Amino acid sequence: MSIQDIIVVGGGIGGTMTANNLVAKLYPEIRAGKARVSLISNNPWHYYKPAFMYVAFGMFYKNELRRPLHSLLRPEVNLLLDEVEGFDFKASRLRLGSGNDHRYDYLVVSTGCIPSPERIPGLQEAGDHFYQHDPAMQLYRKLSTIESGRIFIGVTFPKTANVPHQCGIAPMETTLMLDDFLRRRGVREKIEILYTYPTVAQLLRNCLFLQRPVGEALPSVFASKDIRYQRGFTLARVDPETKVAHSEEGESVEFDILMQTPPIRAVDAVLASGVSQAANDEGWLPTDRDTLQLEGFPNTFVMGDTVDLPISKAGGSCHNQSPVICDNIAGLMRVGDTVATYDGKVQAIAQMGLEAGMPLWYDYDSDVIPTPATKIGGLMRKAFNRGVYWSVARGLI
Amino acid sequence: MNTQLAYKETLNSLLQNDPQLNDPATLEGISSLLGKLAPLVQGQRLHNLVDLLSALSDVVDMTDDAMVQKMMRTYEDLAAGAFSLANLSRFAAAHAGSEEQPPTAWQALRRLNSDADARRGLAMMLAMLSQLGRQARLGAMALPED
Repeated sequence: MSIQDIIVVGGGIGGTMTANNLVAKLYPEIRAGKARVSLISNNPWHYYKPAFMYVAFGMFYKNELRRPLHSLLRPEVNLLLDEVEGFDFKASRLRLGSGNDHRYDYLVVSTGCIPSPERIPGLQEAGDHFYQHDPAMQLYRKLSTIESGRIFIGVTFPKTANVPHQCGIAPMETTLMLDDFLRRRGVREKIEILYTYPTVAQLLRNCLFLQRPVGEALPSVFASKDIRYQRGFTLARVDPETKVAHSEEGESVEFDILMQTPPIRAVDAVLASGVSQAANDEGWLPTDRDTLQLEGFPNTFVMGDTVDLPISKAGGSCHNQSPVICDNIAGLMRVGDTVATYDGKVQAIAQMGLEAGMPLWYDYDSDVIPTPATKIGGLMRKAFNRGVYWSVARGLI
Repeated sequence: MNTQLAYKETLNSLLQNDPQLNDPATLEGISSLLGKLAPLVQGQRLHNLVDLLSALSDVVDMTDDAMVQKMMRTYEDLAAGAFSLANLSRFAAAHAGSEEQPPTAWQALRRLNSDADARRGLAMMLAMLSQLGRQARLGAMALPED
């Protein structure tokens, strides 16, 4: 009997937990030599990427946000350090950077997304963000030295209809963290914080957040902290010389620091696969919202940032998608059909300022119901950041 | 006296006018809860729970970022250690159990000698034994005479 090859591509939080969960789910087959789980990553280190936003406020060092990838994996996972350069979904084959071809029986694509500020003229030169380590460090240097002026916060959504930007709650979290950070520095009174949101945010128009209940709660939160806010500002281009942000709606605003959630896209190999139907060459893979299978390819599953679903591109999504994918692969192997359904559930603890936190959850059918931020919520988030995250990656929680 | 009266009136009006409190399901739930709470209040056992909540609240107030970092470092050390040990044990048991004939002592020694990772594992065990011995030696230091 030939061995069933299951390959997970991507060593981020989704890929790491799924490789571990697959080993646990398929242990009888693995022990009998009937199945093998491999994880392909181009990096021997695993980074806790969602926490890069803390780097922008001097709260984390790089070493605290990474672990050797092998230390997070069960020994039954066959770790391959290689670059996937091509997906041939029809032939169930991967082309690797080392020159090898790799056949698979089941594939999980968890390749994340890439911030692409170069897609907006002038943003690369004049803007800042916190979705990668080095840009977050650059932002920290600016935030820790600015004495007066305006910090402009903006959000760019993908052009693909009803697909969110990376980590939906992050712009709001960092706005509140920024307010606390500047107050601690004693310069808040001399610095204006201007939070803006684009005209189109998934299915909503002229709002302050991508879900209505939170969007409606934000004005009073911002007013209590003297944070200015503005709807209907979709960043079109930036003039790095004059430090002016221009919107598609025809408005221009000067800034001293531009903290912009940048455009995002799928990784090169996913873009080159030719399967995506996403707008603007963004590359999101067409994903069955229930089974998480790639449309037209039942032996391939998609998770995390790479999906084209209206669900947050965040670790809290992966945490709920991973068990569904593992159950469905086991179902296909054991009974010939998928058995589990993803309900769109995402959960997180929002960082509401430097100390407070707010647990939240939502799914396809229900939005986040905002609750008062508390110190206990803040401590829960700190505990997650400092320890629990790594247990989640190991598939222990 | 007037202030107490005002509070009483406010509480009375709240009890009478709040639609949630006058909801039949709320009244039924409170009545049922009072039945459970009454013996605890009468025996002053509820006092202990209130004191416990108060102590818990103090712990939350006292906990700061540095304390969370230290506690979670300990948690991460324990979780990572348990994960690693459980993996080693499961993997080694599955490997050893799958061999029809276990290797003889000489075969095991030959296998050990030809496997660099196994030799490194042995070196690690020796280093751990060395540290255990050092701690035992230091722990056996004579007590001061005072």
